Amino acid sequence: MIRYISARLLATVPVVFGVTIAVFSMLYLIPGDPVKMMLSEFQTSPEQIARMRAQLHLNDPFFVQYGRFVWNGLHGNLGTSIRDNRPVTQEIFEVFPQTVQLAVAALVLASALGLALGILAALRQNSWLDIGSMMVATLGISMPSFWLALILILIFSLHFELLPAAGGGDLPHLIMPAVALGLGAAAIIARLTRSSMLDILRTEFVTTARAKGLRGRTVVLRHALHNALIPTITIFGLQFATLLTGTVFIETVFGRPGLGRLVVEAILNKDFPLVQGSVLIFALAYVVVNLVVDIVYAVVDPRIRYQ
Amino acid sequence: MGVARRAGVGAGIVLLAVALASVGAVTAAPSGATLTVGLDQEPPTLDPEASPSAVTFQIIPDVTESLLYQGLDGKILPWLASAYKISADGKSFTFTLRPDAKFTDGTPVNAEAVKWNFDRVVNPNYKAGGSLSALSGYAGSTVVDDHTVRVDFKAPFAPFLSYAAGGTLALVSPKATQAQGNEVNLKPVGSGQYVVSEYVPKDHITLTRNADYNRKAPWSDHQGPANLNTIIWKFIPEAGTRVTTVESGETQMISGLSLPSATLSHIATERTLRIDRNPYPGAPRIWVLNVRMAPTNDLKVRQAINYGINRAAITDSVFKGLGTTACAPLTQQTLKTPALCNAYPYDPKKAAQLLDEDGWKMGPNNVRQKDGKPLTLTINSINYGSGNLPEIELLQGQLLALGIDARIKSQARPPWYEDNYHCATNGPVLFLRSTDPDGLFALFDSANIGGNFNWACYSNPELDKMLQAGRETYDPAKRSAIYRQIEKLLVDQAITVPLVDEYSVWVVRSNVTGTKYNFSGYPILTDVKIGK
Repeated sequence: MIRYISARLLATVPVVFGVTIAVFSMLYLIPGDPVKMMLSEFQTSPEQIARMRAQLHLNDPFFVQYGRFVWNGLHGNLGTSIRDNRPVTQEIFEVFPQTVQLAVAALVLASALGLALGILAALRQNSWLDIGSMMVATLGISMPSFWLALILILIFSLHFELLPAAGGGDLPHLIMPAVALGLGAAAIIARLTRSSMLDILRTEFVTTARAKGLRGRTVVLRHALHNALIPTITIFGLQFATLLTGTVFIETVFGRPGLGRLVVEAILNKDFPLVQGSVLIFALAYVVVNLVVDIVYAVVDPRIRYQ
Repeated sequence: MGVARRAGVGAGIVLLAVALASVGAVTAAPSGATLTVGLDQEPPTLDPEASPSAVTFQIIPDVTESLLYQGLDGKILPWLASAYKISADGKSFTFTLRPDAKFTDGTPVNAEAVKWNFDRVVNPNYKAGGSLSALSGYAGSTVVDDHTVRVDFKAPFAPFLSYAAGGTLALVSPKATQAQGNEVNLKPVGSGQYVVSEYVPKDHITLTRNADYNRKAPWSDHQGPANLNTIIWKFIPEAGTRVTTVESGETQMISGLSLPSATLSHIATERTLRIDRNPYPGAPRIWVLNVRMAPTNDLKVRQAINYGINRAAITDSVFKGLGTTACAPLTQQTLKTPALCNAYPYDPKKAAQLLDEDGWKMGPNNVRQKDGKPLTLTINSINYGSGNLPEIELLQGQLLALGIDARIKSQARPPWYEDNYHCATNGPVLFLRSTDPDGLFALFDSANIGGNFNWACYSNPELDKMLQAGRETYDPAKRSAIYRQIEKLLVDQAITVPLVDEYSVWVVRSNVTGTKYNFSGYPILTDVKIGK
């Protein structure tokens, strides 16, 4: 197991390296002079531009600059925001917990709803419950989250005046964003759980378990579900990453503080250090989540770690 | 079966939890003590001297104060300065400060503080925002005595009075600012009726009443502190969400920026809401024509475009309720020029005639051509993430009707700026908020080609002289005459296509009274009361 985990950890190194190169190169891939663009709204003198260039070390060779970026990054220094002169790490970590909170809430909702619907549908295949829940799931997959968000706002904020439409911080502000974000993922998890459960329920070991006279609950929970969850876990990981990036839309629609909104506004404000820092954190979160999924996968399914 | 039931119960619990949680979350009714205002975006900084953004100046008038005040009628009134005197050569301004004004950290607003603030703006190590052009040609300040300060310029600088009344030159406490470092971007310490008590990035800013305020602000109906205990500025970028919050009462006032005009018409029918509209000063929403690039380097083409664009149609469609048809490079609020409103009446026949005379004959696909070359041009279009601005698409359609194939170069803000600096398209659509006609200096002085904002790339020594004369002339009548002359030259040369004189638009719940607006069209909320 330790060998497996070490191998997975090692495999993330080139990925992280690639991510940092890609994030760092952004500054060079965008046409035009980055300093002039960053200062475009300000009245600037050539001296100010030169000073900014020096401050960002833009006159150094590419790899020297990249090395500095990585070195500083390892020391928790991702530079200073152009717009408000505050440290990028501070700006990110002020809002990152809110994004994680939203993504986790959406995932919990998606898992509970998705698993419950999926298992129910599989156990009662071809019943009205199965057809109904899969129709709901198809609808859930088809609905864009930002559209659903606006519909939820219209119903629960404007019509019933039950939930606040904008802002963050407490539970009432979390409900609609989590539902808007999580419903699509719930639909995907439901469909996958259903098909996976159906496959497992048809296998011989389930028949054997039933033939041994085990109770229905034991057969489903201890034998079938355990195995049916294996492909679903991969989806959990991927969905969590999708949810994390989905916050870009949801946080904007609901006016919630978070990394998604931070990155959108940083892009619109051409705040390169902030864009680099936020994208890096998103990418690292993606890598970490996938690593965790790989490890959980190995724990649940011993066959994986023996391969 | 047992399992199926349990799973069903599980799903039920989730839904129930959602339902239960929602019960406790009933939106609070408007409180008599707190006003929540929905803004379209977060300011880049609250430091007035550092900000290049209008968003800052919508929030800051309640927190910081300026030497002078300019109300909606344009009149300059005393504020922190009780009087001012301009030297005979027009280069020096001597301000007499009120003896009773204090910053909210307890330090006095004295001559030393004014000098410190203005010196800070021009300090090359400080990244000043709009304040820097408000102090163009600043030669230094002199502390005459504790309550008298003289501000000197290298040349006469008539717009300074208006700029000294604007938000960009609002004063912050030297002591607090030096102590707080970068925190000044979040919680600047001014002398106004509110203090910034909380700043939650990407969420909201809370202003708390300064109970020690004992003066009468120039716009105010009363002496002493503001009416409301708290003002919360909430950042809600999505226009639809913002409207919902004011309709439901979650906010009591929202910025009308980027609201579709159809939404505004719908709001106008709601009894619980009202719309406050005030004209913005400065340059209207305007298509600046690049005079260095073909075909807009040709006067006849530029004039044909001016005759051929139906501005009224643009105002009546996408800007309905958001502005009036523009006439000239300055809004009518800034300088009334009725004669220029008739300079280019909508006349597609005249436009066609001008293009025909110029050799641009109608060719295949309804696109004109000369010497086998089609009449094409490129409009530089800023894309904030939701596609082209609607007025640019309307322009494109109207130009095609004239036989001009207009391409839209839709791009994010950074490359949009870059193309403007390099005169690389036939021009962008832009607007410029300026409280003084001197805003034209930034737009058309030849020194600003390749910088901010001479994006017509127009260089005319005669115009440069007139712009400088405008800066140096104090007599209001003579000054207006100079700017009328400048505008006439710009209109005769068809350097721009003026589109819409825009309004500053705020949607307010009907029970909120006492909202005031300064000359820039930004709200001042110290006199606000919230009724039942």
